[in-house]
Amino acid sequence: MKLAIDIGESFQIAISAIRANKARGVLTTLGIIIGIIAVVLTMTAANGLHNQFRQSFAAVGADVIYVSRMPWVVMGDFFTYRNRPAIELREARELEGRLRGRGIVNPSMSTQRDVKYRAETIDAMRIVGTTEKQMLVSSGRPQSGRFIMGSDVTYKKNVCVIGTNVRDGLFGSANPLNKKIKIGRAVFRVIGVMEEQGGSFLGGPNFDRQIFVPITSYVKAFGGQRGRQSVNISVKAPSKEAMEDFEFVVIGEMRKIRKLRPAEPDNFSINKLDTLVGAFNNVMGVVLLVGLLVTSISLFVGGVGVMNIMFVSVTERTREIGIRKAIGAKRRSILLQFLFESAIICLLGGVIGIVLASLLTAVINTVLMPASVSVSIVIVAVTVAVAVGVVAGFVPAWRGSKLDPVEALRYE
Amino acid sequence: MNNIETSGSTALSLRNVTKTYVMGADTVHALRGVSIDIDRNEYVAVMGPSGSGKSTLMHLIGCLDVPTSGTYSLEGRMVAEMSESQLAEIRNRQIGFVFQTFNLIPRSNIFHNVELPLVYGGVGKAERRERTELAIKRVGLTDRMKHKPNELSGGQRQRVAIARALVFDPSIILADEPTGNLDSKTGDEIMTVLDGLHDAGQTIILVTHEDYIARHALRTVRLLDGSIESDVKNGLGAGGNH
Repeated sequence: MKLAIDIGESFQIAISAIRANKARGVLTTLGIIIGIIAVVLTMTAANGLHNQFRQSFAAVGADVIYVSRMPWVVMGDFFTYRNRPAIELREARELEGRLRGRGIVNPSMSTQRDVKYRAETIDAMRIVGTTEKQMLVSSGRPQSGRFIMGSDVTYKKNVCVIGTNVRDGLFGSANPLNKKIKIGRAVFRVIGVMEEQGGSFLGGPNFDRQIFVPITSYVKAFGGQRGRQSVNISVKAPSKEAMEDFEFVVIGEMRKIRKLRPAEPDNFSINKLDTLVGAFNNVMGVVLLVGLLVTSISLFVGGVGVMNIMFVSVTERTREIGIRKAIGAKRRSILLQFLFESAIICLLGGVIGIVLASLLTAVINTVLMPASVSVSIVIVAVTVAVAVGVVAGFVPAWRGSKLDPVEALRYE
Repeated sequence: MNNIETSGSTALSLRNVTKTYVMGADTVHALRGVSIDIDRNEYVAVMGPSGSGKSTLMHLIGCLDVPTSGTYSLEGRMVAEMSESQLAEIRNRQIGFVFQTFNLIPRSNIFHNVELPLVYGGVGKAERRERTELAIKRVGLTDRMKHKPNELSGGQRQRVAIARALVFDPSIILADEPTGNLDSKTGDEIMTVLDGLHDAGQTIILVTHEDYIARHALRTVRLLDGSIESDVKNGLGAGGNH
């Protein structure tokens, strides 16, 4: 009860003291404002990157192993990978045979071609030759029409399933189904449109800007027949838990197919979502480190500013402290009074910082990447601001609370 | 330990109280063995030239400071052995200060200024309101409750200070040159208020160097160089208007 009354009184004093010095309060909070903007933007950036990563690679199944000539994240000498023999369609079939139903195997190839429909042209679309099993190894689904079927692959049909960006670019709001489009020099009939999957991430593939065609028609139209273009083989493991063991099985079978001797290194790469997650975490680590650095420097500077102004505030009100002590204020009451003042000044800065950061985030959202300030970010920012206030205000408040009442009353 | 005899009517009792300050190389003996008893409902004026130790005595009696040696008991409680927080509690509940310069909190209105001791004493809101309004009524400023101190005259401010001093029903009101910053007419008004409080049973200790103010009191203690020079009862009708 006593503490509650004390807190209520401290709160009132703090508010009236800040009101009496509005300009000073706002100037003092400048450092805190910048610090809180840094806090919010760092967390927003980290969240945004994380969300975009998840969105962009939603199509990359966590239980799928990708066998390719090149690793997704190249480390070391590029040419050792470049000189590897291309993976052939034949090898994909052989792997499927050797795994004997232990995993689903889907071969795919990709290239870039300009795509035309009447007067509309889109440059450099990603063209993916694949099979009906694409649906089993990836999460992307057609939103209208259908996906490639086994018979399309068997009979080398010139049909295609397009991404949302392709549809928007070529057809606008018109219905694309059964329209004939020109991919490179070949004509394909649109049989489906894929769901939207989100933009590209850090230069990775944009799944909305690609066109699926049967791999057999792909070979016929874009000439990836003999060793020229490498095939990517997706192998879906029986379960996520079995991924690690399964990876060794796939590596073993691939080595047998390629007749590698035990001493020879693999001349193919195993890729999986984990590889990307690792690369992503590196990027994220840098973002967080830089953010943390900027944040702590500005909060430190802001905190020192607040401490300074609190020393001024305590000195200015020495006599008031004397009066309050003479009529019965304990050290705790004086301490609370100044701690509240400091915390409220910083809270004010925090709120201004959050508002400014939200505006900045809105700008980032429109020009750079999807970003939004979440409730949890606001809670963290407010907590940080108040904590800085309490820490920065403590020494001045402590000094004020220790003043000798007789001397404080004499202070002019 | 010193055993102090306290009769039922003794408000405070000092025995051989000394106070020395060390200022650089010098030691200042502000009080050199002061003994004094003040009963409940006494009206005492403390007089003396500046440097005589009367301010120090006020600070000790008001529990703003503790003696270097000697004992001080207030309402039977030994003050010298108290902690800082206990002293704050004594100042809060037993002592009501009235200062020469009023010492109101400038940003707070009259009501809040008077209420403040009750706030620090942890009194609940409803009771605070009741007691504050009563105290303000006793000094005749009910219509000024929402005003800030700088909107009042000097005499009104001092009356606010008196209301603040008596809001918690203290054992003693300590008035340090309460008329020092006021013209003589306003000073008389303030003294009338204090006289009224004394008539209602309040113990009052008054520090002043004006004889005509001291004459309001019923007993005059004169200090010189840190010792009591004289301690006399003012005869009724000795020139005061009491």
